[in-house]
Amino acid sequence: MHMLLIEDDTQTASFIQKGLAESGHVADHADNGEDGYHMALTGQYDVLIIDRMLPKKSGLEVIKDLREQKIKTPVLILSALGDVDDRVEGLRAGGDDYLVKPYAFSELLARLQALVRRASPAQELTLLRVHDLQMDLIKHSVTRAGQIIHLQPREFTLLEYLMRHADEVVTRTMLLENVWDYHFDPQTNVIDVHISRLRSKIDRDFTPPLLHTVRGAGYSLHAS
Amino acid sequence: MRLRLVNTSAFRLSLIYALVFSIISACAFSFIYWKSANEIRAQTDSQLRAETTNLLGLYQNGQISALTQEMNQLNTDGRSKFFLYALLNRSQRDLIKEIEPNKELKVGDSIFATLPLKTVITVPEADKIQLNPSDKAQLNQDARVLLTLLPDGYQIMVGSDLYERQALLKRILNVIISLILVVFTLALIVGALIGYSVLRRINRVRQTAGEIVQGDLSQRMQVTGKNDEFDRLNIVVNTMLERIEKLMQTMHQVTDNLAHDLRNPLNRLRNRIEVSLIQNLDKDGYQKVQQESIQDIDDIILTFNSLLNIAQAESGKHDRDWRPIDLKPFLEELYELYSIAAEEAGLNFTCNVDGSFIMLGENQLLAQTFTNILDNAIKFTPKGGEIIIDTHFSKSTAKIEISDTGLGIPEDKREEVFERFTRLDNARSKPGNGLGLSLVRAVVERHRGSIELQDNKPGLQVLLEFNAHIVKHKKATLN
Repeated sequence: MHMLLIEDDTQTASFIQKGLAESGHVADHADNGEDGYHMALTGQYDVLIIDRMLPKKSGLEVIKDLREQKIKTPVLILSALGDVDDRVEGLRAGGDDYLVKPYAFSELLARLQALVRRASPAQELTLLRVHDLQMDLIKHSVTRAGQIIHLQPREFTLLEYLMRHADEVVTRTMLLENVWDYHFDPQTNVIDVHISRLRSKIDRDFTPPLLHTVRGAGYSLHAS
Repeated sequence: MRLRLVNTSAFRLSLIYALVFSIISACAFSFIYWKSANEIRAQTDSQLRAETTNLLGLYQNGQISALTQEMNQLNTDGRSKFFLYALLNRSQRDLIKEIEPNKELKVGDSIFATLPLKTVITVPEADKIQLNPSDKAQLNQDARVLLTLLPDGYQIMVGSDLYERQALLKRILNVIISLILVVFTLALIVGALIGYSVLRRINRVRQTAGEIVQGDLSQRMQVTGKNDEFDRLNIVVNTMLERIEKLMQTMHQVTDNLAHDLRNPLNRLRNRIEVSLIQNLDKDGYQKVQQESIQDIDDIILTFNSLLNIAQAESGKHDRDWRPIDLKPFLEELYELYSIAAEEAGLNFTCNVDGSFIMLGENQLLAQTFTNILDNAIKFTPKGGEIIIDTHFSKSTAKIEISDTGLGIPEDKREEVFERFTRLDNARSKPGNGLGLSLVRAVVERHRGSIELQDNKPGLQVLLEFNAHIVKHKKATLN
């Protein structure tokens, strides 16, 4: 992925760049809103990472102006402001996701991948498939190796989200936000138990295992 | 800077009122004066005319000689105090011509004039008038005369001394002027008194405000109990001050606690990294240290976020995001989220929600409140135990009971557990930062609800109560 990072703290920026490079991504860097805006205008990026508080031009202004210029590149907002209002304000300005500092790098990476995936076409899928696991979105049915798997409604939504983000890392926070619409972290491992319940249904009687735990990050659904 | 009386708007207002009132009364009195002056003149004129008519009657009957005789008689008579009479021959002096040089009068016509007394009594025939010594001093005063043209160049002059009348008018004028002065002075005094009383109260408010500015937030505006504008204003200001004071205290407490609670984990983190530098670890060893360090940092972030959440709930920052929330799906979703976790922990978890109940609130904060309670229930209930969510919805209130069969909270600790960072002895072995119930109470109170902890024998029962009609923004009313 080719990314643009607009972040005024050069140290933070260099950490993020290194981390992204380790994961096989290229990130250009702009240290102020003005430069970042002009770089983003070229439209060559897969995703933009924009800090809210920037010199010369605030993050939200950059996003608003880009959206006015019909630049639809997905945007992840990084912010030290973590209120519900701040989040809503950021998304309303045209941001696609919002991550509050301090965040885990794995969280950032997972969200970036999710954003790029979301932006790619062929959204109107009726059939999701990961290896021999199949989900029919119209019939609302799931099969693995041809065998019907019975899922509770929430399990279905959870699996759908995982399948739409197959091969990516999905964090607990992302699941809580997207599957349950809760924007905070419960202290108990509620997500883990839901995942293990789902895993027992789709993986226990089959090989290879599809639903993997990524240590320190979250989960990933993939064949190998 | 002391407020000066003349600078108060109350005083200025009374000054303006005093002026306006004085001007209005001056106008009224002037009208009265003008009316009386007119009335007095009209009276004089009609007397003069009556006198002239008498004389003309004599003239028609007895010719000039009778007239002259009568006039002499009248002039020397005591009655002439107010009237003087003269028969003028045009050849001697033509007074009519002097007064109205351009007017041609016919015989029998009359003209009124106001002349100095001096002029009048030097007219021939009029010099026979016996003037009192005191009258002589009044020679500069005016007299009102009526001149009538007779045939053969004769003119009759009947005059009246205006001295008394003018003196009367002057007295009236003096009374009027004194009245206006009295009115003005009284208005000014009353204005000053009102201004002063207002000023005193404003000064008190200013003093109190000054003390508050100096840092004594416990000061309050004085409320006299008169329930006037000042009282109402002061009550509103006091309410505001109470809120500010509470927020300040909260802020102090949060900062203090934050400093206190972050020092320990920060210290631990620092030690961990420092020691790892001294130790000669292999790659796995360093990775372990790094993972533990990240865990430490995550704990610190969690504590930090919890404290911020509590502070925000207490400050009411989220109030404007409040939306109607139906507690039925709300609770059922939470139940669904936790049911598997409870099952895994070997607990029997049930949720009975009867009917629906709509309340205004901030969805995420409320959800977090319930997850905190459920987290605790799962954490502190031993295997084989039970967790029950029960609801009693009425039209106006929603009662929610969350009961468990866990360790419970001793009666004397049930208030303490709401304090930040309180961890009971039996909880120390479990994960947690002692902030969960603090957030619960802050959010519940922000939603004008109540929370109570009870003994479930065994276990804990959390009783929550919310109202259906919550005023979105509690306004300090000024009615």
